[in-house]
Amino acid sequence: MTAVADAKHLEGEGFRARIQRMGGYLAGMIMPNIAAFIAWGLITALFIPTGWIPNENLAKLVDPMILVLLPVLIGYTGGRLVHGQRGAVVGAVATMGVVVGTEIPMFLGAMLIGPLAAYLLKLIDGAIQDRVKAGFEMLIDNFTAGILGVLAALAGLLAIGPIVEALTDAAGNGVDFLVDTGFLPLVSILVEPAKVLFLNNAINFGVLSPLGVAEATENGTSILFMVETNPGPGLGILLAYLFFGPKLLRLSAPGAIVIHFLGGIHEIYFPYVLMKPKLILAAIAGGAAGVGTAVVTGAGLVSTPSPGSIFAYVAVTPRGGFIPVILSILVATAVSFGVASLLLGFGRSEKGEEDPPVGEDALPVQASSATPSTTTPTHSDVPAGAPAMRNTVLEA
Amino acid sequence: MTSVAGSSVSKLVVACDAGMGSSVMLASQMRKRLKKYDVAVEHVAVNAIPADAQVVLCHTGLADRARGIAPQAVVLPFQVFMGDPAFDRVEAAIRDGGTLDG
Repeated sequence: MTAVADAKHLEGEGFRARIQRMGGYLAGMIMPNIAAFIAWGLITALFIPTGWIPNENLAKLVDPMILVLLPVLIGYTGGRLVHGQRGAVVGAVATMGVVVGTEIPMFLGAMLIGPLAAYLLKLIDGAIQDRVKAGFEMLIDNFTAGILGVLAALAGLLAIGPIVEALTDAAGNGVDFLVDTGFLPLVSILVEPAKVLFLNNAINFGVLSPLGVAEATENGTSILFMVETNPGPGLGILLAYLFFGPKLLRLSAPGAIVIHFLGGIHEIYFPYVLMKPKLILAAIAGGAAGVGTAVVTGAGLVSTPSPGSIFAYVAVTPRGGFIPVILSILVATAVSFGVASLLLGFGRSEKGEEDPPVGEDALPVQASSATPSTTTPTHSDVPAGAPAMRNTVLEA
Repeated sequence: MTSVAGSSVSKLVVACDAGMGSSVMLASQMRKRLKKYDVAVEHVAVNAIPADAQVVLCHTGLADRARGIAPQAVVLPFQVFMGDPAFDRVEAAIRDGGTLDG
């Protein structure tokens, strides 16, 4: 139960909002570029020597895309988040500094230097904005950004690049250690609760995917792409609701299953966990079982499946890797379903009163009440399982 | 505490963490429901809620951030992505001219 306690603790104060915001920036640099990841992933799956239709000539696309294009896109997007189009341009230039002369995909470096360069430009722009003589704006604008780009690229090449490379190596070694010793499934204890607190994108795109890409360029695939994205734990919980959930919520489960498993929008199942926080144990058990299965069977994906739909999974599964990957999803689903069903009492407690206290049960009734009470001021504002939140709303 | 009259709402903003997943799904649902009232529906990332947003719909887990970013807006939290009473409340207020409190 410690994980649940931790999860609840996180909901207090602005802490969760702050972590989310931080994570939101990290994910915000990667997610707009997912299409480029998919393009790279498909090219890789098709044309590398172990791919579906090996082709040496076409496979020349693989390395430049992952080593240059994707980091530069990330640095560009990171710069844009901080300082619009000008920030984007210096972010991209600065990122070139960290990507040249390295053998690993510099995602972390790009996520660092892109926004940083843009931030410096923002400071400079702010400082000189009122001092530029009429008619010289364009000249000054272009040259401040250009010169800053040079300096940032040099700093990236000489200082930030090597540091990030060392950090990435160290993190990669840490992951290897977890995989080799069989401890990797334990990360689900952190990942699954964080996920339902809407840190899913932050974890996957901010942490796991960059490490996974580094591993995938070495080995062709990475297990890290499967840690957060496995749709099994959520599917198991939704199935448990379908069979054993409160009657009113059973109706919504099939639609949620389609959106979650086929559409890949995992957010859809988070409320089902937040309503009955103990179900996080099912997600953890399912997640750990899925990762464990992947470790044992040597499963891996070539790129990050985004969104976490079964279709995206199939698209980034390497040739010959289907059985381990599908097995990981099935095992995660089965374990999560089993634990969640147990926690839901196999539908036994359904008659009238399931655990009466707090807002836990107020919600399912409201959520699916056919007649919305537009006048009741109390409803739906207080999240189940997070009673403290109402009081911690940021007062503007 | 902010509030807005349903009759003066011309645009509804649906926000999620990335502005690419659940908010898009929900925005397309709300767009269908609000089409006949001439209310535009947009989806955005929470961090990018526009400064002139009037009404923001987002999950309770993200409401703190939404309020921090758009303090002037009426932030309406919901809990489930399908059939939440908050959706009905928005539609009812816009249809009948009631008040939305965020």
